[in-house]
Amino acid sequence: MRRLLLSAFAVAICSLSGSAAFQPTGPVERWHEIAWPFPRDGWPAGRAFHCDGEACSDDVELYVRPKIGFCNCDSGVADDDEVDRVTDLDLMSERFVALEPGKAIRFAGMPGRLRTYDLRMSDGSGHAAVGMAVSRRCDLLVAVAQGKGAAPGIQRVALEFLGSNDMARWMMSAMDGR
Amino acid sequence: MTGQIKLATYFWISLITCCGSAYAQQQVIGAPPEASNMRLVGANDLQARSAYQPTIHHQGDRWIAYIGHHGGTDDIPAPLNPLTGKAEPNGTSIVDVTDPAQPKYLRHIPGQEGKYEAGGAQMVRICDGKALPKGDRNAVYMLRSFGGEAHEIWNVADPANPVLVIRIGGLKDTHKSWWECDTGIAFLVSGAPDWRTRRMTQVYDLSDPAHPVKIRDFGLPGQEQGSTGAVPTELHGPISTGAEGNRVYFGYGTNKGGFLQIVDREKLINGPKEPTPDNLRFPEISRLAMSAFNGAHTTFPMKQMPIAEFAHDKDGQTRDIVMIVDEAILNECSEPRQMVWFADVTVENRPMMISSFTVPESSGSFCERGGRFGSHSANESMAPVYYKKMAFIAFFNAGVRALDIRDPYHPAEVGYFIPPITAATDKRCVTIDGKDRCKVAIQTNNVETDERGYIYIVDRANTGLHILELTGPARAVAGLP
Repeated sequence: MRRLLLSAFAVAICSLSGSAAFQPTGPVERWHEIAWPFPRDGWPAGRAFHCDGEACSDDVELYVRPKIGFCNCDSGVADDDEVDRVTDLDLMSERFVALEPGKAIRFAGMPGRLRTYDLRMSDGSGHAAVGMAVSRRCDLLVAVAQGKGAAPGIQRVALEFLGSNDMARWMMSAMDGR
Repeated sequence: MTGQIKLATYFWISLITCCGSAYAQQQVIGAPPEASNMRLVGANDLQARSAYQPTIHHQGDRWIAYIGHHGGTDDIPAPLNPLTGKAEPNGTSIVDVTDPAQPKYLRHIPGQEGKYEAGGAQMVRICDGKALPKGDRNAVYMLRSFGGEAHEIWNVADPANPVLVIRIGGLKDTHKSWWECDTGIAFLVSGAPDWRTRRMTQVYDLSDPAHPVKIRDFGLPGQEQGSTGAVPTELHGPISTGAEGNRVYFGYGTNKGGFLQIVDREKLINGPKEPTPDNLRFPEISRLAMSAFNGAHTTFPMKQMPIAEFAHDKDGQTRDIVMIVDEAILNECSEPRQMVWFADVTVENRPMMISSFTVPESSGSFCERGGRFGSHSANESMAPVYYKKMAFIAFFNAGVRALDIRDPYHPAEVGYFIPPITAATDKRCVTIDGKDRCKVAIQTNNVETDERGYIYIVDRANTGLHILELTGPARAVAGLP
């Protein structure tokens, strides 16, 4: 009896979890989920993905998470400084320099901005990074992709992955607190 | 009983227990206030405007409350001002509280159009012209924010007929500024357009309010224009101890990654002003980093507090204390608890947290009531009636909490007051399965005290102003008869 109850409970919990329900399919297959690689900070951990060199030309990692509770409820991600502030670049390194002015983007049905960076890692090596932040009302969704390749390539594969149906579904679900 | 029936039974018992409890805690219109050792003296609905900073000023033989407002709501962007018969964007309410039992609404000065934090005129400070070094002796000056785009100074000598004196505009944000009345130095929380942060400090000499003189921009290295890399968390507000105390305590962060920054005021005002990283570091004495879970809304200094427990120690009998108040921003406990912290900053380069306070959630099932639960702000008056003895903390749906802080190593609650909701109280929503689920609860946002000992609380959810006094044992803590 106890085992039956526990099984039912486990099934219910897994059904409620968007994360557990997510299974990459189609064009996202070249990405695989990895453990969130950063220590706990002010925001709950998000999801991290890796795309290896064969599939994405160079190794690329992507980190994405909602940030629920953001003060710019009306203006959203209004400028490039906001992208510098809110994307999770600082989890990888505090030393980054924007390569060019950012641009407006939209994913998972939310508007925001994208900007590319030169990221100086703790071992002194240089990586390229793409910071993305979109918002809905008072909540943010941020993603940052980084790798040793060139920024345009990282941006292309990252946006393709984030634009997949499965990721869009998960991001919407995460923004709804599910 | 089969497994399925048992499971279903457990499910329904859980559901009924959960939701019955939640609804039992909902506030209802017409219910009495929840109170301990605090009593309602008077109230005003503030025209159902979302309220932020109250400042109470003894003006001649009158007592005037100046109350800043957030912007309007989605439902009512510009509430009706019955005095003018017009819909006006939220700005500043001016209320005569000479008789606190019969507060009289004198004037509403409209603020910037815009909803919630995007509009209004949330901040307000008052200085008498005769206190300022170069002020008009007959004037009473009100410094207020104008939404996010400007700071304004008004002459409110006749509080029913304020006159605009000057506007300092061109900003991308404003917030909780500080103004020293004896020197005129103002620490304006601003968003300089070219800085990388929404909120930093612009130091002004407002000793002659009609002719503001900018002294410098100030912030954390990494926030200034042209810098690269990580951007430190934004400023919330400073409190200065003036020329004599020579310290400014800056609170950064809101509900995350906050810290207290202790700054040498003289070096800040007279040191090198070009916003280079070295010049920004020059006046800093130290920082106290808080948990990534908490931010610093208010950093309230209380220097040289005698600590009874340490009275017989040969050193350290008095301590310099800073009370740090976090701001809760998410509804229904959707974030780590935001609360009150006490830091011992006696040894300034080694500040240390020594105690904390929060309202026990279970004492009112506050996570289920709706709206925000957690701290937001404290009274900032340094009048002797309460200074270093009691602190009043706005705690959103838990109302205002009165703390005995005479031993800041062991702060203790001695009273509270949670006003009832009214028909004007606005809803607060959370997203459940993609849909809004809303509740109505009091949202005590800010609090201030006057020299007479009255406590003024204002509501973020449009319930207005409540004027309170202490009763019973809480009066004894303050030494009130």
